Amino acid sequence: MWKSTVDGKRLTFRLAGINNQNFIMRDDETGTWWQQVSGCALHGPLAGHCLTPILWDEVAFAVFRADHPGGEVLRPDEATRAEYDTARWEEEIADLSTVTPASDTDPLEARDLIVGIAEGDAALAFPADEIGGRTLLLARVGGMPVAVVLHPDGRSLRCFDRRVGGETLDLYLAAGSDPPIILDAKSGSLWDFSGAALSGPLEGERMRRINCLKDYWFDWKNYHPKTEIYDPEQLD
Amino acid sequence: MMRRLHGSAILLWLLALAALAWVAIPIYLIQPFAPQTRAAVAWSYALKSRAPWVTGALLAAAIAVALGGGRRLRTPVAGTLAAIALLVLGGVAWLATRNHFEWMFHPLPAARFAPAAEADWVDPQDFVLGVSVGEVARAYPVRALAYHHVVNDVVGDEPIVATY
Repeated sequence: MWKSTVDGKRLTFRLAGINNQNFIMRDDETGTWWQQVSGCALHGPLAGHCLTPILWDEVAFAVFRADHPGGEVLRPDEATRAEYDTARWEEEIADLSTVTPASDTDPLEARDLIVGIAEGDAALAFPADEIGGRTLLLARVGGMPVAVVLHPDGRSLRCFDRRVGGETLDLYLAAGSDPPIILDAKSGSLWDFSGAALSGPLEGERMRRINCLKDYWFDWKNYHPKTEIYDPEQLD
Repeated sequence: MMRRLHGSAILLWLLALAALAWVAIPIYLIQPFAPQTRAAVAWSYALKSRAPWVTGALLAAAIAVALGGGRRLRTPVAGTLAAIALLVLGGVAWLATRNHFEWMFHPLPAARFAPAAEADWVDPQDFVLGVSVGEVARAYPVRALAYHHVVNDVVGDEPIVATY
């Protein structure tokens, strides 16, 4: 999900091709080709530019609706909606909770599902196995302490920057809580799945939500060649 | 039995084949489920971005050759070959202006929205990509994005492109 303004001009994009199973977009204004997953221009007048990401939220509609009761939903295109179902296969792979936890760090296979966080030049990939087993993971990406939180629905996932008011939160998921309640062990404050503090000394504060991408390992590694892989043994 | 083919007819076919190659190579290189090298992507862009005017120029040249061929192209064999070459060239010049990926995945004509409470085409467990800007929150169902691939929209005051 990208902001579509470049050098002050709004660009209009179209599907234009595919490059190693990730698609290429083309803007009508300059004809430049852009890689969908990286947002960077491949060829054309705007080569050298990269689109700015916008924060997105990849969750079940029930989760979106709970957080945004006044929100809007994209209407289907009546002419082609019958074809939507055949493109659903990506959705079906998103269930992270049914995967059994890995007992040791296996090297990843090309089509293993991961969740990736990138910050500056640093990148970290969380294998789906790890997330399914633990539901709340803490790690550092570059200098940024992060939390990866899996909703009880087993699929909705959010990632946060754990720094609030100069402190780094030490987070735990309250077992069995639905909707999820997150506890900060340091301050005793309680947080909800949107990152808002519900009670305790930090009530009223909000954790910054960050983008995390569900991707295949081969695709993530292709665009983040120096990515690290989450290691649960590594102390935060 | 074909005897010596008139030079104009041969030239027309060379022009037609050149145009066909110009358009077919990027289609071949940029295929789903086949790997792409950096060079393949670079060549595809170079050919595809120039295809409309290159094939247009080849078509114009072919028409000039056909008109210049005169009476000798109006024999049954040469004339038929010339006509087919021109038709092929015309078709290729048209194809050069098309985006065949959008035949497979039709673009969304314009992003339209309904309030979440009225969105009965989305089940609670269907996945969406949510974007919030200021007070505006929009959900793009993954099912729709997985088909259209690209949706241009403005959320609040921020122009975005939703992709999946």
